[in-house]
Order: sequence, then structure tokens, then C-alpha cells
Amino acid sequence: MANIASQRIKREFKEVIRSEEVARCSIKVELLDDNYSQLKGEIAGPPDTPYEGGKFLLEIKVPETYPFNPPKVKFLTKVWHPNISSVTGAICLDILKDQWAAAMTLRTVLLSLQALMASPEPDDPQDAVVARQYKGFPEIFISTAEHWTNIYAGGSRKKEEYSKKIERLMGIGCNMDQALVALSGCNWDLDKAIEQIFG
Amino acid sequence: MNSDEEIPSDEVDSGNVSSSDDVEFPMEVESNTSREKQNEIEDYPYEVLSTEQIVQHMVDSIKEVNSVIQLPHTTIRILLNHFKWDKEKLMERYYDGDQEQLYTEARVVNPYRKSINAQKKQSRRSTGTEECEICYMILPSSMMTGLECSHRFCTHCWTEYLTTKIMEEGLGQTISCAAHGCDILVDDATVMNLVKDSKVRLKYQQIITNSFVQCNRLLRWCPSPDCNNVIKVHNVEPRPVTCKCLHTFCFLCGENWHDPVKCHLLKKWIKKCDDDSETSNWISANTKECPRCKVTIEKDGGCNHMVCKNQNCKADFCWVCLGSWEPHGSSWYNCNRYDEEEARAARDAQERSRSALQRYLFYCNRYMNHMQSLKFEHKLYASVKGKMEEMQHHNMSWIEVQFLKRAVDILCQCRQTLMYTYVFAFYLKKNNQSVIFEDNQSDLESATETLSEYLERDITSENLADIKQKVQDKYRYCDSRRKVLLEHVHEGYEKDWWVYTE
Repeated sequence: MANIASQRIKREFKEVIRSEEVARCSIKVELLDDNYSQLKGEIAGPPDTPYEGGKFLLEIKVPETYPFNPPKVKFLTKVWHPNISSVTGAICLDILKDQWAAAMTLRTVLLSLQALMASPEPDDPQDAVVARQYKGFPEIFISTAEHWTNIYAGGSRKKEEYSKKIERLMGIGCNMDQALVALSGCNWDLDKAIEQIFG
Repeated sequence: MNSDEEIPSDEVDSGNVSSSDDVEFPMEVESNTSREKQNEIEDYPYEVLSTEQIVQHMVDSIKEVNSVIQLPHTTIRILLNHFKWDKEKLMERYYDGDQEQLYTEARVVNPYRKSINAQKKQSRRSTGTEECEICYMILPSSMMTGLECSHRFCTHCWTEYLTTKIMEEGLGQTISCAAHGCDILVDDATVMNLVKDSKVRLKYQQIITNSFVQCNRLLRWCPSPDCNNVIKVHNVEPRPVTCKCLHTFCFLCGENWHDPVKCHLLKKWIKKCDDDSETSNWISANTKECPRCKVTIEKDGGCNHMVCKNQNCKADFCWVCLGSWEPHGSSWYNCNRYDEEEARAARDAQERSRSALQRYLFYCNRYMNHMQSLKFEHKLYASVKGKMEEMQHHNMSWIEVQFLKRAVDILCQCRQTLMYTYVFAFYLKKNNQSVIFEDNQSDLESATETLSEYLERDITSENLADIKQKVQDKYRYCDSRRKVLLEHVHEGYEKDWWVYTE
């Protein structure tokens, strides 16, 4: 791995560990290998959002040309958010693409992702289904995002009604992920979700 | 120019690489051909310039502006690029408008304010070392550098940064400062000072010259592959120009010279061919169009009850009569609604669209055919060379056998003209003049085919004299018919005879 890249990551790694955000448990970075090219990040769902109380894991891949090219980041924890793919975890955020600047760091990336979770950009969506719900049915969006946070990220808020519908679908042969994706995408209309899965 | 007086010299600030205003753009170019004297072909003068001459042309433009507006060369280059190298526009804005706003728009720092920044840097210098925000190394200030925006990074990181931008993102004149959110542009002198890798330097220069050529209406790259020359004209017109690499093309659109058809129609045609030609045969044989939304459909099952899959249409109709499905309800697989008014209208529409396709295929086939033949005729040059040698063994002098090469030249010209006549004809509406045009076209075509046949014939000592006479007569005839055809079309352009279908 190129010298600047590993040098930088070493330093940044220390910076994150020392930062006040780590002290408040809001961000965390772990090394996955010795040459600093693979990291695991973790961010806490920001307060006063549907993601509050959840822990979201991130995959961070540092390219050879870092910091002149941005790190490749995606969500490992499934999340319901207009700018994050509910299927792959891919993120649509300008600083991870053309707005990346060499002076940015892992810490600023993680904090930007937290900020993105707190204020979605539905007009520039990664996941069109989620974005449509966010704009058209804001209340359903919030409870859906909370439910996802509960199931995948350990949040405490969930809807009994949603759990029951998921169980109904699981009773007729769906797995949980499949049921959740279908129901969330159909604004929790059970009949539509069944049609989508089996139709 | 006396920019040194206007601009505080940054010599003390050895870390600031953008200080060398007067550094000429040091070009490393692959080709170095000397300046060509003007070609004058049919009163349309143009010049062929090498990459090196283009760079000189840029430098001259900068100097010209510099003699009026006394700013550093690097600043003028960025300003000129901002105005797409329109000198007049730049000067107008410079003297009429808000200069500060002009600098912001063009993403440079006002060079008259450099002194303030330089002082700031001076004071910071006293600490001796600085931390580079990119690599996090603590380095002596002499290894740090930055633009007029005062964002400083170490030279090594700058080089890496610029290399990434140039090689991976293909940026040239629009690379901005490495600091987040800073849009001040990196000037060419800075890039040339920092980047030492010759491959990167070459790429950077190519990007910059390319943007210069593309911005400038009077310049066009020769489109032939691996040719680095540029054609410079005095006024933009659809005229044939021939590069030093011998490629002849239309200056206006860059396509092969395409007389008699005009650029915009040719462009339309090429796009149509790219979109259609491969699939159109299959489409015409296997599909119909939805009578409501006109989407092309393929029938892949036996049932004649079609439901359009276009989610916005979802029309129910009968495959056989193309009428609405509704009245078919009682007689499902047996269409007896053939005479229904609605169905007839639908079929008529279908027929019109099918016949449009047939018409297109007619012209397209002929166009493609000539294009293909033209490719073969280029092979003919090789075989003709052999024949010419053979003839010289039959008591003919070198000069006497030159007619064969001339014949192939004319054959190629005729093929090329014929090829484009089909594009012209495709868009032409029928009238008296178009009938004359078609007569000319068919006459030229049959003569061209005969000439082509003669040239492929075996030459023996017995038929030599006979063949020479025939070939010469034929190519003279072809050449004159080609000129007649083109003149007729040109006359039509002048007198507004031609009416187009779209």
C-alpha cells in the first residue's frame, strides 16, 4: 500500500480514537488488516431521528491512491433511508464522490454520514422506493425506518402492527428480510406485498 | 509588458510555486512539423497546424491580451479559458464590469491582492515548520506551497494530487485547490513546476490544447486516428479540408467530405443508421406496433389478444386486425372484425409506418452498398499497381499507364458522391428538380458500375489498347457526370429547389 495512504490512515486512526465523538460513543473505527486498507466503522444513529438508539456498521475500503481519491464506504447494517440502498447499503453522498477533498478524514466522513442520516436528500436518492415514501408518506417513512433500526441495528422503537404483518408473510414461506423489504416498499399494505412477492 | 512592476514579486516566497508569471509554457509535443504555407483550394484558405503551433497560437493570444490588460500570464490564461478564448469578450468584461466578480467567476484570486496574502504567509513562515493537512507530516516551510488562496500543502502531496486529477479525472484547466470547498484554480505554471513526470506533463498539455481547440470555432482536430494536426480556417463553412495526413473531411462537421448532402442531414442520417440498421430488418419481419402508443411489439405466443406491456398504455387489441379487442370478446381466437372502421384506420397507420421503414431500408441499402464498395476500391489500388507494372512489360511507358490510377481515383470519388446522394435523396421531397436529380444519380451510378467492372477485368496484351480506350472514355464520362450532378444540387441550394421531408 502506498506510503502516504497508510501513513494517513495510521494518523487518522489515532485521531478518531482520541476524538470526543468516540468518547461519546457516537463513532468508532476498527482495523481489519495490518496494512490499513480495510476498516470497519460504526456510527450511532443520531438523536431525534428514526435511527436513534441504533448502531450502524460500515465497510470502509481505502484505495491505493488515498487521500487523493475518497475511501469506498457502504453500510453493512441494513437501513431504511432515501440516500442509502436498502438492498446493498451503497451510499449516495457527494463527498464520497466528486466533492471529496484530500484534506478530509475518516472522522469527517463518519460525521458526514451521521449528518446525512439526520437530514436525508430525497431529491437525490439512492433508493427511489424509500425516497418516494419519504416524500409522499412521511409518517410511514419514520415508523418504517424505526422498525428497520429495531430489527437490524438494535433500536428500541418498533410497531407491533408491522411485526405481525411480517410474521404473517413469514407464515406463508417468506424469509424475514424479504418480507420486510416487500412490506416497507408497499407502505405496509399486506395484499400488495403478497402480490409483489408471489405475483 | 511590465507585470513585475504591477505584481509584487514573490521571489522571497520560494515556497510559492505560482509566482513565476513569465515562464513560457514549456511544451513537450510528439510531432514537430514546420509551419505549413497556406493551402488555397477553391478560394477557401486554411492552414494545417501541428500541436506545437497550436501551443504557439495560445501563447500569442495570451500575449495579445497581456499587451492590453497587464496581468500575469497564468491569470490571463485562466480568464481566457473562462471566456472560451474570446479575447474581445474578456476585454469587454474586464473594463465594463465588476472586476472582483469577474475573478470570482473565473475562480482566480485578484492578482493585485497578492501582496496582502504574501505578507500573511511571511508572518507564518517564522515558525519554520508547518503540518501538511494531507499527509500529516510536519515539514519545513520551504517544502510547503499553495496558491493565492493561502491553502498550503507539501509539494509531494500537491504533485500526487495534480497527478490524480490529470491522469484519472482528465482535468486540465479546471483543477481546483486541494483544500475542501476552495474553488481557486491551479494555473499552468504551478502544474508544470510541480509535476515532473513527463507522461503526466504530456497528458496535461494535451488536455489544455484540446480544450483550446474545442473552444475555438476556427480550429478543428483532424479526425483521422493518430493524427495530431489541427486545421485552422478563416471563416467557418461546410468545406472540404485536407490534412497533412491526407485525410479529407468537412470542416464544419468533421465527417468525411459529403457533398452533395448537408451536414445537419448527414448527422441525422448517421444517427438514424446507428440506431436502426442492425435491427430494422428483423423488426420489419417480426413485429407490429401497438395501435395506441406505437411501441413496437413482438408476438411470442399463439393468442391474438394482445395487451400492451407499456405501463402507460396497456391497450387491448387484436394482433390480426389491430382493432380494439373489446368487440372480439365473443369470438376469441377467430378475428372476424376485419372490416371494422377502427381496425382499418389502425392498419393504415401501421402501413404508413411500415412503408416509411421500407423507404429507409431502400436508401440505407444503397448507401451501405457504396460505402462497402468504396472500401473494396481501396484494395483496388494495390491490384491496379500490379496491372500497371504488367502493362509496362507490354511496351507501354510509365506515363502511358498512369490512366489506371487516375481511373481508380475517379471511381472512389464517384462512389463517395453516390453514397451521399442517397442520404440527400432520403430526406428529399419529390418535385420536378428531384426527378432530374434522380436521373443524374442513376446515370452516374450505372457509369460508375461499368467503370468498376472494367477495372476488375483481366488485362491481356490482346485487349490492352481496347481496354485503355474504354477505361479512359468511361472515367472521363464519370467525372463529368459527377460534376454535373453536384452542380445541379448546388444550384438547387442557391435557388431553393429542395424541399425536405423532415
